[in-house]
Amino acid sequence: MTPGKLSTYLKNGAIWGFILLELIFFTVAGQFLSLSENAFMDAGNMLLLFKQSAPIGIIAMGMTIVMVNGNIDLSVGATYALSAVVLLDAMTWPVFGGLGDWVIPVACLLAVLTGTVLGAINGLIVWKTGVDAFIVTLGAMLGYRGLVFMYNGEQPTSHLNWTLVDFAEAQFLGLHTATWVLLLVTAAIWFLMNKTVHGRNAHAIGDNREAAVNAGIRVGPHMMINFMIIGALAALSAVVFYAETGSVNPNDGELYELWVITAVVLGGTKLSGGAGSIISTFGGVLAIQLLRKGLAHIGADTSTVNLVIGLILIAVLLLDRQLNVKGKEALKI
Amino acid sequence: MTGTFGEENLMRLRTVLAASAASIALSAAAQADGYRIGITQNNVGVDSYQTTYEQAFIAAAEADDGIEAVVLDAGGDVARQIAQIEDLIQQEVDAIIIWPTNGEAVIPAVRKAKKAGIPVIVTNSNIAEQGFDFIASFSGPNNITQGARAAEIMCDKFKDMGIAGEAQVVHITGQPGYTTAIERAKGFEDRLPEICPDVTVLDTQPGDWNREKAQTVMEAFLTKYDDIDGVYAGDDNMGVGALNAARAAGRDGIVFVGATNFAVGYEAMERGDYWGSIYQSPVDDAEAALQTAIDVLDGKDVPLLNYFDTPKITQDNMGDFTKPVF
Repeated sequence: MTPGKLSTYLKNGAIWGFILLELIFFTVAGQFLSLSENAFMDAGNMLLLFKQSAPIGIIAMGMTIVMVNGNIDLSVGATYALSAVVLLDAMTWPVFGGLGDWVIPVACLLAVLTGTVLGAINGLIVWKTGVDAFIVTLGAMLGYRGLVFMYNGEQPTSHLNWTLVDFAEAQFLGLHTATWVLLLVTAAIWFLMNKTVHGRNAHAIGDNREAAVNAGIRVGPHMMINFMIIGALAALSAVVFYAETGSVNPNDGELYELWVITAVVLGGTKLSGGAGSIISTFGGVLAIQLLRKGLAHIGADTSTVNLVIGLILIAVLLLDRQLNVKGKEALKI
Repeated sequence: MTGTFGEENLMRLRTVLAASAASIALSAAAQADGYRIGITQNNVGVDSYQTTYEQAFIAAAEADDGIEAVVLDAGGDVARQIAQIEDLIQQEVDAIIIWPTNGEAVIPAVRKAKKAGIPVIVTNSNIAEQGFDFIASFSGPNNITQGARAAEIMCDKFKDMGIAGEAQVVHITGQPGYTTAIERAKGFEDRLPEICPDVTVLDTQPGDWNREKAQTVMEAFLTKYDDIDGVYAGDDNMGVGALNAARAAGRDGIVFVGATNFAVGYEAMERGDYWGSIYQSPVDDAEAALQTAIDVLDGKDVPLLNYFDTPKITQDNMGDFTKPVF
């Protein structure tokens, strides 16, 4: 086994090793520190872990594609909130008055459509102007959030539909609805990235944009499609979450972009593009939720949780850089 | 070689985790066979009221041998609060106290707790009426009354000054979507035209319970409006922020009325800069919430809306009240 292979193996496996470490740590620490009588690894608790990972996780899948492309999307939190507003408000529109509970799928579709359109706007601007995605989506983050506030002022937008709540709370084969959506999205994006031309192109563009252009890949439209995918997924995430709560604050979803990016980076995706794995992103999402849940389990407060996640993110980036340096050295030999 | 490196790194992570865990480890209270009560708060640390509330709650729970409290904070995040409620249900606590981040979004989670046979007590700011079927009790101040009382304080002052016929006020509200903010605003806006029909509200903007934000909002108001006679802020923290903006701009003679009398508000009243507020103690608030939970668990008859009184305080009667500790 060459050092290069070993470091690759370590990089890909690191997130799962980290998750295992978290599980062991919180199980042991929970024995001494937790006020709960249930074990941390209790089956019900683990099922909740998946469910609570869903809102960030669904968006993280889209973020992985965009980041593999060498772009970033900071507007996902605002897209999430605006789609949620459309979802909940659409259910009260008189146009759909005669639909009864059939308004639910219509409202869900409208919400996802909203997210897709917002993503398309980002993608189109990045494509046609060539401005860095960071700047474009930073503007979109502020702009879309502004739209959320314009929609209903400072008030929350609310519509509690118990049919929808019951659907969201349902458990099929033990897994919650939100978990199923997360798993299906993960499977779909994994397929897209690993088994299709689009996925191969995404890696090629992120690796070397010029070479990709020379190879005849239509980079602009490709990126726009990816921004539409992440927009749709941010909206889908909102559908999954707000189906169960029925009320959106105008400032909901703030900082989601940062949690999502943290999860993706923890999963090993490069900020510079070209490399990233859907399965590892899934691991990154679980690792963050596990950390939040575990620290709460042993009685840490919210600020400590944020501090620890921040420290771990920096540690992971340092580790990542070390491993990459080693990999390059190995190539020279 | 690489293997050693990985191990070192895992060790480092473990040390980070262990250190943080040790530093915050709540000294697990005596494992008495009493009640285990979980609380998920709105956003501790965002202001001194919530910080004092948490301290008072922990102190009250520790003083009672029969109580073991699981104290959580949602950090203002609805999603996190719902996850915390789910976790508390999963941990099979005896009762859950919720300080809602959104009075509507938590309703399904509260229903889940009720289905699991766990009574829910809402504290400080109530959930929407649709959720009343699922809660055991609400313990807190009557925020509509507070808003109305603030309107009365302001109107009475305008009448004393003889400007009740033409006074103009601006209104700085709390965090958007937050029931307390909405209720206080409603109480104020409904009551003011009843008692002072000729006073106009020029503008309303949120200050998010934050002093700096309120100061910025007030700076904008002062630029936009040449004649401002009164400011109503959803709490004293924001009221003092607005006061600072007015003083920096050299605008005198403005009547400041707030709510939830903070130490800074009390001091500004002593100096004569700030006219009045509503006296609300976070210690009373926290103790009332815990007591309500205990009463519910003891099977006592608890009213659905279990209000504690929050009187008016102005420069005239402030001697009757001790200075708030927060």
